[in-house]
Amino acid sequence: MLAVDVDGKGDLSAALGSRYLGFKPHLAQQRVSVIAMDAQQSFQEYLHIYFKVPAITRLTPLKRVFDFIATAVPGPRDMLVVGKIAYEERRREPDGRPVWDLIVVDSAASGHVVSHLSAARSMLTLVRGGVIRSQVEWIDALIRDPERTTAVLCALPEEMPVVEAIELCGRLRSEAGMSIGACFLNRVVTEPVTPAVRRLVDTLVAAEHDETLQKRLGGSPQSIADATRLAQQLYAAGVAEARRLQAKIPAPLVRVPLTAARPGLATARAAADAIAGQAT
Amino acid sequence: MSTVERRKGDRRLVGRREWPSYAVADALGGLEVVICCGSGGVGKTTISASIAMSLAAAHDKRVLVLTVDPARRLATALGLKGLGAEPVTVSRTRLRRAGLPARGEVVAAMLDMKSAWDRMIERYSPDSRTAQRILSNRFYQRISDAFIGSQEYAAMEALYELHEAGEYDCLVIDTPPSRNALDFLEAPSRLSDYVGSTLLSFLAGSSRLGFRAMNFAATPFLRLADRLLGAEVLAEVADFVRQLQQLYGGVQRRARDVYRLLRSPAVGFVVVTTLEPSPFSEAEFFVEKLRDFSMPLRALVVNRVLPDSLRDPSAIAAATTLTEDAGIAAWLSKALGVGVTRETARAAGERYLLFSSLAQRDARQLANVERLGDVPVARIPLFTDDVSELEGLVRIAGLL
Repeated sequence: MLAVDVDGKGDLSAALGSRYLGFKPHLAQQRVSVIAMDAQQSFQEYLHIYFKVPAITRLTPLKRVFDFIATAVPGPRDMLVVGKIAYEERRREPDGRPVWDLIVVDSAASGHVVSHLSAARSMLTLVRGGVIRSQVEWIDALIRDPERTTAVLCALPEEMPVVEAIELCGRLRSEAGMSIGACFLNRVVTEPVTPAVRRLVDTLVAAEHDETLQKRLGGSPQSIADATRLAQQLYAAGVAEARRLQAKIPAPLVRVPLTAARPGLATARAAADAIAGQAT
Repeated sequence: MSTVERRKGDRRLVGRREWPSYAVADALGGLEVVICCGSGGVGKTTISASIAMSLAAAHDKRVLVLTVDPARRLATALGLKGLGAEPVTVSRTRLRRAGLPARGEVVAAMLDMKSAWDRMIERYSPDSRTAQRILSNRFYQRISDAFIGSQEYAAMEALYELHEAGEYDCLVIDTPPSRNALDFLEAPSRLSDYVGSTLLSFLAGSSRLGFRAMNFAATPFLRLADRLLGAEVLAEVADFVRQLQQLYGGVQRRARDVYRLLRSPAVGFVVVTTLEPSPFSEAEFFVEKLRDFSMPLRALVVNRVLPDSLRDPSAIAAATTLTEDAGIAAWLSKALGVGVTRETARAAGERYLLFSSLAQRDARQLANVERLGDVPVARIPLFTDDVSELEGLVRIAGLL
């Protein structure tokens, strides 16, 4: 499996227990490799593979032009990101098997992801010929083929992120022509506060000045009521937002529980377990 | 007194105000432009809208909050049905009803990228014929409305234009997430580089002279571009960039003016973050970049902070007993005269310990906030209901 960090910040590597931040696939976990996207390197790789352009670092005036195209010109930059991912999807082992069974992309922020995913389509309206035309055609076909590519939405259980996920769902379908595979609601308090727990906490708080109780508990139960109330409120918010997502997004909803672990491999494993438990 | 207050009909969780920093609104009060930056998902749009409200309330100002983020969060934050390029005034009656004694005015708008680009072309073109030729070019049309990055160029131009027009006392800008916000800061110089670049010289030259007449240095590039795009398209691109080169002088002058404005005492940056490790390191990164650019950081806003009551050592001890002591359920049943099962006691304790771990992590990170800069810091508690309604924004504005 290949995990692609589009922003190239290293968060995805960290979630896979690695500090790697490079453009070449790096094995972070058993059968899971990771790369950090880099538009300049993507362009160099592209030119090398398709046009046999040598390492352009040695050709100073041209390198400046190429770096500029890859990083500053709107359009090519988006295509280089999407193109690299599409290239990895096409890669084959000598025996013809795909190099990757699955490519998971941690995409750009939601305001920008549609531009990335519709870059190929936009490019098709501009380019009528040349090598790039056929390349952009297969990239566009790959993105829009629900058998090969799907978008997975992620939101926190709060109104604004949920509204945004719903809006993004609509834009991905209409502007990028993509299918939506699933929607993840992250950091959800999954268990309600039961009446028995509420009763116990209320009773403890009412008796908080009882010295014997405090001695037996080893401390004051007063603030436990705050956490109980917070849990109740967050659970209710999770239920309401899940309902809203289910009503508007035509894809399975997966709840990932709130944990206290720092982001990293342990959190990723806990989330993976939660996802596996809900997979149908 | 409990540090989590519950009011009648109010589901909000309000932290103890032990670090009051109304200083943020004061620090921003004299500014003409406030630029809010931060990682995605930290509540930047909500904070931008709240800053606009606090300025309108405290300083009797006409404030425009402009979102540059292509996600349409600002309308949601302000409880508006829709928001476009046309400024929408949030009426004083609505603000008062939400609890904001507004003396000033809050106006909201979303960047219209296409028209910002078009105005830019019209302004910098030497004549209307050149402008029309560029505006009708299909490469320009795609760049100006379809691709990432073109947003940042247009946003900076719109910001400068609005400031120059002087229609508002203060502009509050809600920027895209911070890596893109960096593009935002670099946009004026990039545009200037773009229009004056070697690439464009090559292409413009190719159009004027034809490929065969090109100089030696340009030939490999043009040969490659020809194979890549095809001769017809390349000629079209070349024609477009040749027109674009005529804009160079104006674009370069404007880049200088925009940077002068961004470094002036009239402008201030507010960095918004949560205490989660990833957004926090983004905030550190952005503060460092501001320093590199000699642009003034004026305030920090730390959003979604858990209340201190969740770090109460006495409660941690009690919760640990409830979670781990096998005999506590039976003891409580007897002592309190209510039936308590082992599972109930454990569930009550575990919940506290979960939130306590998160609150302790927040506290450790809070200690690092001062390292970011010697500026006022606002700590916004976690709100468990939606603060997208005006009342929520007013509540946050009160903490700024």
